[in-house]
Amino acid sequence: MVAPRHQTPAPVSNELALGEPLPALPPSIRPLIRLGGGFSEALVPLPTGIDPVDRLLGGGFPRGHLSEITGPPSSGRTSLALLLSATATRAGEVVAWVDGADAFDPSSARDTGIDLDRLLWVRAPRIREALRSAEHLLAARGFALVVLDLCRAVDPPAASALAPAAWMRLARAAASSGTALTVLGRDRLVGSHAALVVDLRAIRLRFATSPAWLEGIEARVALTRHRLRPSEGFVPVHWKVPPLARGVPDRAGPARGRGAAGAS
Amino acid sequence: MACLIVPDLPAVAELRAHPELAGLPLAVVSESGPRATVLSVSPAAAHAGVRRGSAIAQARSVCAALCVRVASPARERAARDALLDVALSASLRAALAPPGEGVRAGEAVVHIDVSAFAAGSERPRSGPPRSETGLATALAARARALGLPAAAAVAGSRALAELAARCTAAREGPDATCVIPPGAEVAFLTPLPVDLLDLDDASSERLTRFGIHRCGPLLELCAGASSRHAAARLGPELLHLLERLRGERSEPPIPAIRDARIEESIDLEAPIDNLEPLAFALRGLVVRLLARLAVRHLAAGEIDVELRAGRGRDRRHLALAAPTGDPRVWLRRLRRAFEHEPPTAPVDFIALAAEGCPARRDQLDLFRPAGPAPAALDALLAELEALVGADRVGVPRIPDDHRPSAFALEPFTLGPAPAAGEAPHGSESLRAPVLCLRALRPPLRAEVRLRAGRPAWLRSAVATGEVLHCAGPWRSSGGWWSEEQRFAFDAFDVATSDGRLVRLRLDRLRRVWEVDALYD
Repeated sequence: MVAPRHQTPAPVSNELALGEPLPALPPSIRPLIRLGGGFSEALVPLPTGIDPVDRLLGGGFPRGHLSEITGPPSSGRTSLALLLSATATRAGEVVAWVDGADAFDPSSARDTGIDLDRLLWVRAPRIREALRSAEHLLAARGFALVVLDLCRAVDPPAASALAPAAWMRLARAAASSGTALTVLGRDRLVGSHAALVVDLRAIRLRFATSPAWLEGIEARVALTRHRLRPSEGFVPVHWKVPPLARGVPDRAGPARGRGAAGAS
Repeated sequence: MACLIVPDLPAVAELRAHPELAGLPLAVVSESGPRATVLSVSPAAAHAGVRRGSAIAQARSVCAALCVRVASPARERAARDALLDVALSASLRAALAPPGEGVRAGEAVVHIDVSAFAAGSERPRSGPPRSETGLATALAARARALGLPAAAAVAGSRALAELAARCTAAREGPDATCVIPPGAEVAFLTPLPVDLLDLDDASSERLTRFGIHRCGPLLELCAGASSRHAAARLGPELLHLLERLRGERSEPPIPAIRDARIEESIDLEAPIDNLEPLAFALRGLVVRLLARLAVRHLAAGEIDVELRAGRGRDRRHLALAAPTGDPRVWLRRLRRAFEHEPPTAPVDFIALAAEGCPARRDQLDLFRPAGPAPAALDALLAELEALVGADRVGVPRIPDDHRPSAFALEPFTLGPAPAAGEAPHGSESLRAPVLCLRALRPPLRAEVRLRAGRPAWLRSAVATGEVLHCAGPWRSSGGWWSEEQRFAFDAFDVATSDGRLVRLRLDRLRRVWEVDALYD
């Protein structure tokens, strides 16, 4: 992983010359060390695991802030959020996925590399419960990442239907807990409370022709807002279907692979 | 030994169940109707001149604004048990004095064996060792926090502690404390009238005949070599009582109580047939129940609810993922349970019972990322379960099932974080970036037009348009041994002209097309 280019350096006290010992510490403990300065500025962002995207975002999604991932369906927004969760859980962090759309797919999460033991899945039946659940998760502290999935396939929530006060409460709770709160939506919902907004658009679908085979999609990951480091830009990302997600297509009979049943 | 006394238990139990009556003149009567007699009065009613034993009409003539309640055995039992919980917060060796053995009518008495603290062999169950005065003050404060104004006393013997608590309550009020240090027993007893010793009629008559009205002359008479003569004239029971008061006679030990089951109940004056007033009544019960558990440093993970409606009984067992002492969490859980399945008839009695269990404590690792604190995680899981439902929070699992989109949820228990470089158990290696699926639960019905046996046009709630790309079918089937579990699907990866990439499937058993997932 490429080191974050725009990571805010932790201010070092004149009286406390750590200098050399800090690099010798295990990487997992470095985010826990705060050497003065603001709380959120001293925290290392959560990387996505895709180097170009991390460079674009200045290291990743900022802890202690509210971020947004937006885009139309089939643009790769869920894949990006799952990849972010996978990177966090593999570093030993604990992640919560508040599923306001009841769309979380554990198989995809495992294929992405998420350590499922360190993921708390909350299946909120309505948007209201999803927001309340996120508040509880932030208040409990200790979660590195809370993903609030509001991408309802049918009847997605509109920004006007959600009270701005709710986002303000969540942003404050994220700041006090040091948790990276990421809202997953079709359009922007959070408004000015979002410190970072990433928008995804599908550029091209990749299908193999012989045999017919879905290889993945090419998407454009665009940074549309970064309150901590004003900048814009985009990078292309190629989302690939994992090789074992499908068996071999066969019109004559059952498929051979993970998706096929043994008894039929 | 320590002793806690609540002098006016019926009135205290009523005020504990109905805090809105605090400060009002209240009388608890034996029965409903004009023949009722006053059993217990609140301080405001006593100040207005209402006396125990008077008729209800007489009490009303003295105090026109008198609130009258009929005594409730259930509420008194709960208040008495709450007093025992206060005692158990200090020591497991505590016992309620049984009625009739020196305990007056309308009084609750608890004896606590704190001798292990004095000997230094045991620490108090809460906080560091403290002085006798600090212990008595803490006991009275905890009782007050549970709505029980109780007098506390610490003395060398059980009988003396009870006598000291009763005298202090009568002299200084129900919240007062008293400590009799070793060697000061005689000085404390000397000025007291002998009537306070609760002697039988024969002993009282003998003392009156001897002209003994205070404890001082009685102690002098029974001291030293003359005790045998005094026993012969006054009776051995009186001599034994004095020996117990002076701490010179051994008393039976108090057994330790390890039962942590706590019950709270309420008799409703009018049956409740609506959820809102039921929630209001439950709120008081839950707050009192959890406060009693909190005094004993316990929380509740499961609660048994009993509702009585006439002759019918409705028993429910509610549980949370982790024990919590937060009343809001339990109230949400109860409300959700009663919203889901309301009582079938108007309720006139509610009882809650919980088995107290300690909150979980774990040691966190210094050199690994700190997850949620165990106690906070327990409370969080309980909150979330109460909010979204017990079956909707947990760790996602992939069952051994070929059914598409099969999943399971297991309770979330946070283990230690993997060390640096160690692959997490049960997870695939990190492949970046992977195109993921969003499940549609339940699958959306779709209208499909076929061309050469393959989807050519699609209309559904998530994707509509001409099929630009189509891969598949991937055939899956199973569960043939059961009619309910049987499934057979032909799945296609379909890209439509509106830019959607969905997983379309044909249910071969029902012959319907569905969209069950969306690539995103």
